[in-house]
Amino acid sequence: MSAPQQLSRPLSARVASLPDPPDPMARQGAAETSKTVIQAAFEALDAGRTHYTDRPGILPLREKAVAEIGRRCGLELSADEATITCGATEARFVAIKKLVKPGQKILCAGSGAAVQGPAALIGAALTDDPNAEGIALIYLNSADPADRVEACAGAAISRESIWLIWDMSPDAGSAFHPAHLHPSLAERTITIGAVGDAHRGWRVGWLAGSKAANALRAYKQSITICTPSISQWAAMGIADPASEE
Amino acid sequence: MRLANPNIPEDVRAVAADGTQLRYKLMELSNQYPDAIALGRGDPDLATPQPIIEAAKAALRDGKAGLTPVAGLPELREAVAAKLRAENGLAAERDNIIITTGGQEGLYLIMQALLDPGDEVLVPDPRYTSYDEAIASAGGSMILVPTTHEDAFNLQPDAVEAAITPKTKALLMISPSNPTGGIITEDRARALAEIAIRRNLIVISDEIYEKFLYDGWKHFSIGSLPGMAERTITLNGFSKSYAMTGFRVGYIAGPIDVIRAMSRVKAVTTGPAASLSQWAALAAQTGDQSPIVEFHRIYDERRRLMMTGLREIGLDYSDPRGAFFLWTNSSPTGIHATELSYLLLKEGRVLIFPGNAFGENWGGYLRISVLQSGDLLREALERMKPIIDRYRVESQV
Repeated sequence: MSAPQQLSRPLSARVASLPDPPDPMARQGAAETSKTVIQAAFEALDAGRTHYTDRPGILPLREKAVAEIGRRCGLELSADEATITCGATEARFVAIKKLVKPGQKILCAGSGAAVQGPAALIGAALTDDPNAEGIALIYLNSADPADRVEACAGAAISRESIWLIWDMSPDAGSAFHPAHLHPSLAERTITIGAVGDAHRGWRVGWLAGSKAANALRAYKQSITICTPSISQWAAMGIADPASEE
Repeated sequence: MRLANPNIPEDVRAVAADGTQLRYKLMELSNQYPDAIALGRGDPDLATPQPIIEAAKAALRDGKAGLTPVAGLPELREAVAAKLRAENGLAAERDNIIITTGGQEGLYLIMQALLDPGDEVLVPDPRYTSYDEAIASAGGSMILVPTTHEDAFNLQPDAVEAAITPKTKALLMISPSNPTGGIITEDRARALAEIAIRRNLIVISDEIYEKFLYDGWKHFSIGSLPGMAERTITLNGFSKSYAMTGFRVGYIAGPIDVIRAMSRVKAVTTGPAASLSQWAALAAQTGDQSPIVEFHRIYDERRRLMMTGLREIGLDYSDPRGAFFLWTNSSPTGIHATELSYLLLKEGRVLIFPGNAFGENWGGYLRISVLQSGDLLREALERMKPIIDRYRVESQV
């Protein structure tokens, strides 16, 4: 019996719009793991932390994530508003899936490369025009040009149905947060972060804040239940998860 | 069965219709009781085998924590394919395998790759409600296929055939079943394969609990039957077999085109599974398999203990042929399973999931897991007995 090549019925239309993942590039992320991370992972393995964690993720890591957001951005969040995810990839997808409907638009301050895939999967479109109709979400990340970030975030101030993602994962140095532009943006902004490039193989990120926090948490749970336990404990060994590169 | 007890907290009542949220709410409540005995979540209480732990450490020492390809470590995909050929009779090569972040993500990827809005999936009832969410997320519709206590919750080909419509795209088969512990026997699987071929259905075969069948029952993979390889997507993983739920590693086997499609979805939804977890899974798959034999012995012993205990307190259960659960008929108490679960937790300090957390039709059942030591199971039964007795008397059943 030969290995099957093709399913007997067509695949979903949505997958046709997605590019193949860049697998030949994938192993380039294999940077050296820091000693403190290895030590934290060893301790977790020895302590038998090899079973499901709480759905939102381990409390100390959530505390660490919101403390980092507070230190960098001056935004006070509680650990209850944070959810540990499988990297920034899952955090972005969960937020987009829950906040954008098919046919709606995502306004991007930069290229929007990080959200092209999720948008294609759910049938949403990207735009760079802050005045476009049908914008449900604004995606901003810390590597985008500052003037564009401010212009795009500003579009949400008077349009209260629009949500924002502030993705801190690309650039650890940024101290900006959309809430700095207008306090009303705080409860509509989902802040996303992840461990740095050297530790991407651990698949640890987080999403925090916004009045949608509970709904986002539930949706993350429905995809992967929880982020790998050892990865979460290992991330506790990173001195400064968001700024470590 | 009616949900009438006004003493149930509003936050429990509010999620009673959502199986997943109800389970999480009860787990959250149980955290208030440090002495609670957890017979709820399907997380093995046994330790992950030490060789797996040591392999994870070795991988770290060897600098193997970097990002892997989205479809998974090639070595692990090869090992899984070899396992499926040798143990399950599937025609699988590396390219027929994708490694997932646990079995639950596997479900999600399958539905995303397979379903367009309006497509129907036949799902045995009762069922683990994560299926509901995965199907709904892809815009599909779930069509329930009834299974019965009298038939040990085996899947009946006639019931499947009767549920097929022009919109039906797939049949979900779960064997052994969570929550019932029932299995789909080989004769039924053969009959279902004939239907799938004749009606051009995809079969999604969830075999997560394949290592835990009892009383001489044998696992059977429908994908091994002639004509089924091109229409079967098999879901499995390491969490339950090797007591390593926290590593979050599962896998899917299927035709190459659907595996590639799922890789594209995975790349934009969660990315590759964690590297260290995959190296640990590789050690589990290729290493000494004797821990599974020992796990099986322990679970079987506990299962028998719980069966005896339930009979002694007057509760009946369906024939538990596999998995970790006893699907227990609680209707003699005369109260809804949500109420009974709440009371068992609040008054007895025993966490048990109500049947309606696995489908709205099952408010007269409880799912009792055996993932605690024999001593704790005995203690749980002692705590349950007066509550069951009291409500049986009060309801005059």
